[in-house]
Amino acid sequence: MIVNAENISRRYFRKTGGANYFYAVKPVSLEIAAGEVVVLTGRSGSGKTTLLNMLSGLLAPTEGRVLIDGTDLYGLDDRALSRLRSELIGVVPQGRSAIDTLTVMENVLLPARLYRKPLPGKAAAQWLERLGIAPLRDARPAALSGGELRRMAIARALAQSPDLLFADEPTGDLDDENTGLVLSAFRDYAHEQKKIVFVVTHENDALRYADAVYKMDGGQIVSSSERAD
Amino acid sequence: MKKFSLPLKNLTRKPGRTSILALLTAFLAFAVFAGSAVVLSLRSGLSSLEARLGADVILVPSEAQSKVSFQNMFLQGTTGAFYMDASALDKALEVEGVEKAAPQTFLASLKADCCSIKIQVIGIDPEKDFTVQPWIARSLTRELGDMDVAVGCKVEADVGEIIRIYEQRCKVVARLEATGTGLDTAVYCNMDTMNALLSAAEEKGVSHKISSGDRVISAVYVKVKDGYDIDAVASRLNGHIRKVTAVRTRSMITGVSDSLAGVSRTVTVLIAAVWALAFIILLLAFALIVRERAREYAVLRLVGASRGMLGRMVLLESALCGLLGGVIGVGAAALLLFPFAQLIESALKLPYLMPDTARMLLLAAGTVLLSVAVAALSSLIAAYRLSRVDPGTALREGN
Amino acid sequence: MKKQVIPAIVMLTLSLVIVIGSQTFLSPCVHEDGSSGPCHWAGQALMGLGCALGVLAAIALCVKRARPGVYLSGLPVCALGILTPGTLIDLCRMSTMRCRMVMRPAMILLFSAALLCALAGAVLTARQKS
Repeated sequence: MIVNAENISRRYFRKTGGANYFYAVKPVSLEIAAGEVVVLTGRSGSGKTTLLNMLSGLLAPTEGRVLIDGTDLYGLDDRALSRLRSELIGVVPQGRSAIDTLTVMENVLLPARLYRKPLPGKAAAQWLERLGIAPLRDARPAALSGGELRRMAIARALAQSPDLLFADEPTGDLDDENTGLVLSAFRDYAHEQKKIVFVVTHENDALRYADAVYKMDGGQIVSSSERAD
Repeated sequence: MKKFSLPLKNLTRKPGRTSILALLTAFLAFAVFAGSAVVLSLRSGLSSLEARLGADVILVPSEAQSKVSFQNMFLQGTTGAFYMDASALDKALEVEGVEKAAPQTFLASLKADCCSIKIQVIGIDPEKDFTVQPWIARSLTRELGDMDVAVGCKVEADVGEIIRIYEQRCKVVARLEATGTGLDTAVYCNMDTMNALLSAAEEKGVSHKISSGDRVISAVYVKVKDGYDIDAVASRLNGHIRKVTAVRTRSMITGVSDSLAGVSRTVTVLIAAVWALAFIILLLAFALIVRERAREYAVLRLVGASRGMLGRMVLLESALCGLLGGVIGVGAAALLLFPFAQLIESALKLPYLMPDTARMLLLAAGTVLLSVAVAALSSLIAAYRLSRVDPGTALREGN
Repeated sequence: MKKQVIPAIVMLTLSLVIVIGSQTFLSPCVHEDGSSGPCHWAGQALMGLGCALGVLAAIALCVKRARPGVYLSGLPVCALGILTPGTLIDLCRMSTMRCRMVMRPAMILLFSAALLCALAGAVLTARQKS
């Protein structure tokens, strides 16, 4: 499994003084290989989430291509892309991402249910257990705290065993203990199962778990460092 | 089941939202079903009236009230009693262009012990009669014997029961099919029975004779030979027989169908108004709901749902709402239409005959289908707009 | 537990409509000469049944312990209410009369609704027990 981003950029229209558009992400190229935890840091507004969305198939870049094992993500039609995302990619978005009418367990099983795949009930239960929210499996999201909802979203992404896991500020709502719990879970997942974990964060805690760190500013990657193993 | 379960869960676990949407479609379904059922009933009432009035011209005494009371008898089932000399029948047959003529004699009962209201008794000549007799024949295979009566379907008497009219014991031998007209509240007997009843009435002090000793009748139903102009025959009848008015049945039917058209129009306008209103409200409601749920839909896209899947889910959810609302609306309308059919008929003062069960079921199914379609349609725009947005953008906006 | 009170409230409302209706807007035929036919007595019987139903509903509302039994005893009362007009007590002999046109269908609907309430109450209370 290898992800290649080839000169991807995202432009938005905006009436400003000079040009009537601006770049949220300026052309950037990246390569991520299996078994890595990649951490993307940077100030808010630096384009981190936009880059994550483009890499995870949620937002078409204005220019450039995203290739997963040679498949051009945005060359696929919506149906094929959705199916591919459901099979290969898990995303933990910012903010609330629970379906209110479903219980925690139903939320976690939802991605598989959409495509009538065998339900990963065992994996789901294990992840809920590991993330410390197993007792809440039959609760409705309205009864959960922000941190519990966040861990539910993480369990949902992990339970599908995606080859690529994207997490946008996954530890924002979490205390130190849970932050460590989540990040070590990410690291184990990437290393033991040879998967890719891509984390966007502005917290330094995450750096300790990273195999590669990118820093963004003003829509550009300004520095990158690989941990030497 | 798996794909189906999310819309279903959305409905059952948000009962407030579901019931508001269902209630809106229920109003629609109610208006359509009740309105159409009433219009259909009026239509079949009209054709039933045409069948029972199966004469071209009807002769009634030329007293001022007789024509009006004859019409009311037919349309509303009020009692009427007016008389002319029985010779009018023979005279009518003498007129050129008359093919058939049959007499009828009317008598309004006093409040009988059974009924506590006046009942219209209609004497017919089974040999000659060509309007009422075929209808009676459908429920009674033999002829009406002496002191036998056949009762309209709205007279609550069972076959074999004895009812008293002017102290005379009459045996109910048949209960007739519904016609939706005033004929349903009348009691029918042959001319001999009628004469016995007339005499009994006389003893009670109810006078009907024109001059003592005469045999009397109330109306003569005339069928005009093919090829003859009905108006011409009617005016010849008017000229030939004294103190008689020839009423063209066509004019009575036209009067009824005019009122029917009026009611039809009102109902149609009403249905259209309810529709327009409910459709607009539904459109707004779905637009609001979709906006409120933008983040929910974005999450579904996030976890792998394609545009098509999302659109289908939204449509399925609203269609289910429509189904629920349609069933509730039709059910509520049925609960009013069927038990209170008589009340509706009396209020409309027009012939009113409910279509048979099969047609009503068809109408009900059609109405439910329509509600489903309308609910789905009104969420279509919302569903379409929803599917145009990138999940990434929607997730950010929904934050 | 709140759910179990709802049928009682609806039943109480229905019984009020029945009792008041039987004497006013759902009354049987009124004859010009002031005489009263059988339908008058049917109306009186319906009022009585309505009162009984009201008392049952009030008990169900106030005495929690009595609820299962009270809901069950509502069933025969409602059945009687459905059967009274036309079946147990005669009405006028013409469908166009007020007692057949208004009172009977309305009362049958009202008592049927009350019957459903009693049934729902019985089921709800039974379910809570087990």
